[in-house]
Parts: sequence; C-alpha cells; structure tokens
Amino acid sequence: MKSLKRIFIYTFLSLAAIVSIFPFLWMLVSITNKSVDVTQGRLLPGTHLIENMKTLFATVDIVPALANSAIIAVITTVLTLLLASLAGYGFEIHRSRGKDIVFNILLLSMMIPFAAIMVPLYRMFGSISDTAPLIGIDSLGAVILPTATTAFFIFFFRQNTKMFPKDLVEAGRIDGLSELGVFFRIYMPTMKTTYAAAAIITFMNSWNNYLWPLVILQSPEKRTIPLLISNLGSSYSPDYGVIMSAIVIATLPTALVFFLMQKHFVAGMMGSVKG
Amino acid sequence: MSQQSTKKGEMDLPVRLRYKETKREKTGVFFKKKVGWLFIIISVIAITIFNFYPMVQAFLLSFQSGMGGNLEYVGLENWKRLFGDPTFIAALTNTSIYLLIQVPLMIVLALFFSVLLNDPKLKFRGFFRIAIFLPCVTSLVAYSVIFKYLFGIDGIINQFLLNFGFIPETINFLADPFWAKVVIILAITWRWTGYNMIFYLAALQNVDKSIYEAARIDGANAFQQFFQITVPMLKPIILFTSITSTIGTLQIFDEIVNITNGGPGNATISISQYIYNLSFEYTPDFGYASTVSYVIVILVVILSIIQFRVAGERK
Amino acid sequence: MKKFYLMLLLAVGMLVLAACSSGDEEASGGSGSEGSSGTDTITAWAWDPAFNIAALEKAKEAYNGDGEFEVEIIENAQDDIIQKLNTGLSSGTTKGMPNIVLIEDYRAQSFLQAYPDAFHPLTDVIEASDFAEYKIATTSHEGEQYGLPFDSGVAALYVRTDYLEEAGYTVEDVTNITWDEYIEIGKKVKETTGKNMLTLDPNDLAQVRMMIQTNGSWYVDEDGSTPNLADNETLAKAFETYKKMMDADIAKIVSDWSQFVGAFNSGDVASVPTGNWITPSVKQGADQSGNWAVVPMPRLDMDGAVNASNLGGSSWYVLNVDGKEEAADFMLNTFGSNPDLYQTLVKDIGALGTYSPAAEGDAYAVEDEFFGGQQLITDLSTWTDEIPAVNYGLHTYAIEDILVTGMQDYLNGAELTTVLENVQGQAEAQLK
Repeated sequence: MKSLKRIFIYTFLSLAAIVSIFPFLWMLVSITNKSVDVTQGRLLPGTHLIENMKTLFATVDIVPALANSAIIAVITTVLTLLLASLAGYGFEIHRSRGKDIVFNILLLSMMIPFAAIMVPLYRMFGSISDTAPLIGIDSLGAVILPTATTAFFIFFFRQNTKMFPKDLVEAGRIDGLSELGVFFRIYMPTMKTTYAAAAIITFMNSWNNYLWPLVILQSPEKRTIPLLISNLGSSYSPDYGVIMSAIVIATLPTALVFFLMQKHFVAGMMGSVKG
Repeated sequence: MSQQSTKKGEMDLPVRLRYKETKREKTGVFFKKKVGWLFIIISVIAITIFNFYPMVQAFLLSFQSGMGGNLEYVGLENWKRLFGDPTFIAALTNTSIYLLIQVPLMIVLALFFSVLLNDPKLKFRGFFRIAIFLPCVTSLVAYSVIFKYLFGIDGIINQFLLNFGFIPETINFLADPFWAKVVIILAITWRWTGYNMIFYLAALQNVDKSIYEAARIDGANAFQQFFQITVPMLKPIILFTSITSTIGTLQIFDEIVNITNGGPGNATISISQYIYNLSFEYTPDFGYASTVSYVIVILVVILSIIQFRVAGERK
Repeated sequence: MKKFYLMLLLAVGMLVLAACSSGDEEASGGSGSEGSSGTDTITAWAWDPAFNIAALEKAKEAYNGDGEFEVEIIENAQDDIIQKLNTGLSSGTTKGMPNIVLIEDYRAQSFLQAYPDAFHPLTDVIEASDFAEYKIATTSHEGEQYGLPFDSGVAALYVRTDYLEEAGYTVEDVTNITWDEYIEIGKKVKETTGKNMLTLDPNDLAQVRMMIQTNGSWYVDEDGSTPNLADNETLAKAFETYKKMMDADIAKIVSDWSQFVGAFNSGDVASVPTGNWITPSVKQGADQSGNWAVVPMPRLDMDGAVNASNLGGSSWYVLNVDGKEEAADFMLNTFGSNPDLYQTLVKDIGALGTYSPAAEGDAYAVEDEFFGGQQLITDLSTWTDEIPAVNYGLHTYAIEDILVTGMQDYLNGAELTTVLENVQGQAEAQLK
C-alpha cells in the first residue's frame, strides 16, 4: 500500500515535470538549430549553435543589456524586499483599525491594469526630467521607482506575518531590543523562506518587465534584456535561431536565482529560532 | 476589504487617520501605535505617488473620449458604450470563463504540488521543484511556438488522441472557439502553477512540524492532515494567492496575444488585450480604454471582498 | 524612537542613493542620445536592421545637404515604436521623442489625426508628385503632406515554378489572372503535387485587404472613418473568394508568422501572395533557388479590378520637436531627392522605394538568379505604379478585428449579406 502510493507520487511528479520542462528543453535545443528548423518546431539538436551565438553577439550588444537588467533587478529586489516587509510587518504586528483601512486602500493599487496608468505616469516622469534627470525619462531610476513599491508584496509579507509567532516580538522587547531591532534581529531571520520566495518573484518580475522600461527608456545603451529580444524579433525576416539564443541567455539568470533560493525552502526554520 | 475603503479619498489618508488616532489613544499606547505607522509610511507615500495619483488621472480619463490627444469630457457616455460594445462583452465573457475555471484549478494544483515537494523524504526534490517552476521563466515566445505546434492540426496532441481512439477525427484546437479557450486555460495554468507553488512552499516552512507529529500520533492520515492542518494553517497564503491570481487572470494578456491573439474571431480575447488594442492597436482612445480598465478594478474589488469574507478575515 | 526613525531613514536613503548613483553612471556613460532635444544630433526610429534601419544608414552616408548634425539611428520593434509614440505624444511630453520616425501606412492617418500638432508638415520640403500616387493619400492630411513615402508594399504572387510545371502550368498561366482562376490552378496543383497552393491565417485578413485594393476599395469611405462594409460589393466579392479558397481545400492553415515563413521555406506551398518585402524570407530557402518566379497579384473578378495591390509599406515622418528643420533637411537631401540613394537601396538592401525618378536606374534592371533571372525590381516597380490609390483611413485594424469574427461566421455557413450587415453594425457601434 505504502509503496503503491510512492509509485503513484513519483509517476505523477515525473509526468508533471516532463510537461513542465518540455518547452524549456525545446528552447534549449532550438538554439542549436537554423531559423528554418526552429519555425518548423524541430525537436532534435542541430549543429548551428556556434553560428547562432556568433550572429547574436555580432548583431546586438547583449552584455550591456544583461548588465542593465541585472542592476535594475537587484536594486528593485532589495528595495521591494525591505520596504514591503517593513510595511507588511507594520500592518500585521502593529495592527490597528486605521492601518487596516489604509491597507485595504493600498490593495486597490494592484487592481488596475498597468496600461491604464502608464500615460499619466509617463507624464509625471516627463515633468521632473529636467529638474531630476537621474529619475527622469530615460533613466534606470525611473524604471525602478514605480516597480519597487508594490502592494502585492506588502500583502504577501502581511499574510506571511500572520503565521509569525507574535510572542517572539514581546520576547525581543523584553530583551531590550528597539522596534526596528526586533524587526531586523528576530523577524528577518525567522522569515528567511518568505524573503527567499519574495526575492525569486521580484527578481523575475523585474527581469521580465517589458512595458514600462519600453516606454521610459530611450537610449539603446540603457535597454534591458526583454527590449533587446523584442527588437530581435522585429525584422521582416527574423532569425529564430538567434532569437532563441538570446532568449535562453536571458532566461538562465532567473532559473539560477530560483535554484539558489529554493534551497532555503527547508522545513524547520521556525523550530531552530525557537529552540 | 471593506466597502467603505474604496470610497474614501485616497491621497491624504494616512495623515488624516493618524490625526484621529492621536486624539483617541492615550499616550502610552500612542508610542506603539505611532511606531507602527513608521513601518508603513514609506510604502504608503510611494504607492500614493506612483499608483494612486496616476489611478486618479485614469479615473478622470474614463469620463473622456476622443482620438489620441484630442480628449473631451463625455460624462457617462463611455460607461454606456460598454454595454453596446460586442467586443467588450466578448472580452468580459471570456475573461470570466478563464477566471472561474482556471484560478481554482491552479490554486488546488499549486497547493498539491507544494505539499508533495515539501516532503523531506522525497528523492530528486530540487529537480522536481525547479521543473515545476520552469514554465514561468520559459520565454513566452518559445512556449507559444511549442503550444501552437502541440495543439496544431497535425500536432502531437491530435496524433495521440487519434491513435488511442479518444477522438474520431483531428480537432483544430486553435481555430475552434471552445477548444481555443481550453488551450488558453491550459496555457495559463501551465505557466503560473509553479509560480504560486513558491508561495505555498515558502509558507509551509513556517508551519510548526510538531503539529503534524501530534496529528500522526492521533492517527490522522495524509488526507486528514492536509485538510485539517495544512489548509487551515496556509489560509492567509491561500487567500493571498487566490486574490493575486484573480487579479492576474483578470488582467491576462501575454498568453492570449502570443498563442491565439484573441482568435478565432473574438473567441479568446481578454479584457486586457482589448485595453491594449484600444490604446495602441487601433486609433488610440485612452478615455474609453480607461473605462474598460476600471471595469477590471470594479470586478477585482467585488471578488476580493467576497474572498476576504469567505476566508473570514473580517473581524 | 528617534533612533528608530533615523535608522529607517538612513537605510532607505542609502538604497535610493544606490539606485540613483547607478543611474548616474549609466547616464554619464551614455553617448549623446539626449541630443534629441538639441539640434546637433537628430534621432531616427525604425525597426528592421536588414531593411529600413539599413536604409537609414545608407541615407546617412548619402546625405549631401549643408546641415551639420549627427544622425543617431535607433532600432525599436514596430509595435514598440507605436507604444512609445502613443505614450509620449498623448502625455504631451516631447522629451525622449525622436526627430524622425517610420510609421506603417495603415496607421498613418491614426497618428496624424490623433496628434494633430505632433508632426511637422513636409509640403514645402518635398515634391509629392515624385512619389507613387497611392502613397500620397495615406501620408497626407487636410492638404498638408506629412509623410515622406518610403518602401513600396507592392503585392505580388511568388510561385514555385517546379510545382506549377508538375501540374502542367507555365508562369504565363499564372500571370495577370483572377482569383477564381488562381483557385482552379490551385486545385490542379494540389491534385498532382499534393502541395497546398498557399497558406492562410484565419486571424489575419491580409488576403482580403489585398483583394479589395485591386478594385480600389477599402473598409472605410473616402472620408477615412465611416465604415463601408454592408454595401461594399468588392468586400462581398473578396469574402466569397476567400470562402471558395477554403472550400477548395487548397490552403494550409497557419497561426503565426513563423509558421507562415516555415511553410514556404520547407516547400509546403506552391505560391505566396503577399508584399514584396517577403523576398529575403523566400530567399532563405537557398536550396530552392531557380524554382521561384514572381508574377502580378491576382485580381478580383470584377470590372475595374487590376492586377496590382499593396500590403504594408511605410513612410517617414518628422516630429514637431526641436531639430525639426534639420530633420526635414536630412529627409529632403536623402530619400526626398536623391535617385542614386534608391539605386543603393535596391542593390545593397533589396529595398524598393516609391520615388519615381529612381526607376530608370541600372540597379532596378538587375537580373535575379534566385528567381530564374527575372528582372524582379523592374517588375515590382512597374506594378507599384499601377496600385489603385485608396484612403486607408483611421480604422484598418479595428475593422479587421471585427471582420475576422464575421469571416468565421460566414465560413461556418452564415448568409453573406447578414454577416456584412452585422459587421457594419458592430463597426458603427465600436468606432465612435
């Protein structure tokens, strides 16, 4: 009975894994194929890998774009994690009627499609461009600012804080820690897995963000990876082998971040702190 | 989310509330209360500037209409126009169908995977985790090409179903209004299940192991443990994922544009795709596009209130 | 309490500083792209590095005016340009906008009418009559010429001569034919070779668009905005023809661009009726060299229809921002008056312009071995002059999205007149 269950679980997970990985594997395979083969969905590896890479590096500056995306993603991730966890913690641990109302209003901000607020937002950044060029149009600062503060992660941290044992806060206060001390010394280490999950998602969101960087960035040398890939596909006769090569290079960092972070998803975090 | 909160003036709220609090509270408690506000104040200010200010402008736009830069106030005209606009109605219907079927399906699947993949005795756990997560980092371009081939008229799915006698003749999935919706629902679920799994997986680490041990001693089987411990413990996160997934599906855009581009006809068009078309694909009418955007806001608000109520988070 | 506040402020301050300073490095490291607001650098946006971007590079080399300015060419995908332009222009912020931008002809009227003061008129700069007539209607507005016509979207029928031969046809048999004749040939080709005659994408009515222009008709009236669908005989004929094509089972159904290209590259279809910009993609199938020919587009079987049509094509526009005089000067002294530039474009890029004085040049007469030694450019250029001029108006893509639904209904057996009345009603309701 028990082994039957195990067989079932492994079969199920293996099937799910195959279904999930298949397009990713195809993506990896397609960078070794010619454009014509890619368009026909060829499943077998080809011999075009070096050619595709050469063409890619000859036609676009992929390294600066990777650097831009990395700078933006790292800063956005750090800012989001800090601000959202502070707020999520504040809303739940220092809960009050007033804050609950503010919280509900904040949630409203994630309900509107971004396309609807893009034009006013662009106008806003346009109007400060001359006085504050560092966060004006065509600056990395302008890409980061509107994305680094989101109700989404405040909500996420608040919900997770509901599972945080509140007596730890009192214990910290009794030990003479300041309010911020409790947050940094007790809350942060205890909630490590929550931070890991948020880091994966923020990094990925920022890395893949398309619409806002597209409209706000103008200079080619400030382009992020998704914009560069969009350009590759814009020609009347696109080279899909080369496009896939760029896509694979662009995908690896997020996969890597996930791989590194998921190691923190190990049971027993709470216990160790308590003990 | 309370009804009231949606009607309040949004811009200056923190200050006004703080004022109220200070009057009501005694000084001893006052410190604790005020410290709480300091934790949230930066986020509140930033979200007010970068979200609420443009949202108010978008709201004003929803009462205007015209081509590109030539906007004028038309009162409720845009809102009336919604009801006579067959494309909008198609988009609303499709999006509602996606929502009703896809969100519950995905939430349950994600929960299921996270519990399986949290088992410390499971072999190749890291591999399975990354496998299930990979769809949400797989490029849309790549996976739309693959989906179109899989579901193509001579694609693998058709060959499989045909060979095993499940269907009498090939189905042109992407050209059939019903099957195209099914493909879209599968595509969204395929892409976002791993994403939601992460939230559960992280939260499961914060569940005290000793509760399970106690339950096991009491003779609870895996199913009982799942429903009597895991689900109640994860309730805040389930609420979080169901609300964010509701928002995500109501704003669904990428999958549809890349796989069916709204077709056949308008059989798979989503509200967000229509907003995009109104803003960029057609002669732009940002006013009407804003009105359609606010339909999404209204829907999400209503659905969120229901979900908060069901979760019993209101005091 | 104070300490807490300070620490918080410090932490955030540091992060913001980090964010800004990294932005700073980037800004100072960037080349003079901010110059779009100055007059020593003008920027130009286009989308295809092998085509219109390359054309801009050639224009930069060929510029022989007196202006002293740098031209910075920036590549953006076409959809990206549309989003950036719309966002920038509608927000009223000219910062970050280019001086010169390439816009597809079907979208030109939308931009000209939606942002009336955003474009700089070229009426007194270029000689409109030097360009193909059909380009002028779509690039001008209220008597002012705004666009400088660029590439010809002249449509043509690319045919596989080997498949035709196998089915017993010569190139002459498919030259200057009607769509009905085309369908008959297609049936025979499929019967003998097993190959489909063409690809069709049910979500893309480019075929219908090309068909109706052979008879000088469009989705909207002369005014460019009133939908003309229910009483449009040409459109009805095009719908019937499209259905005949589906019923004859000579079309391979595709669902996107890559499948479309894949189909003819892998030899799955016997012909490709589309815009001439497809030439480089056709040539990607190098092993098929010598097996292709290009003939005039089939016409609708109606009185007055001609064997010439158009698909796509785009034109240059100068934005009404700082540097517009320089940009206009650049345009005039390149695409606006330089026949030699057009020879270079044809020779080096394969880009066919619509500047009539250029047609006599040697480069146009060159024989293309891939197409069995055909003087392809000369032929395309001749057909360009015959394209019926229509006003594409404001709503091409909006109406087409409605028509796609109508076409589905029609293919599924609905009555044609009912279908067209339905789409007319929908279009009127939606396009207010």
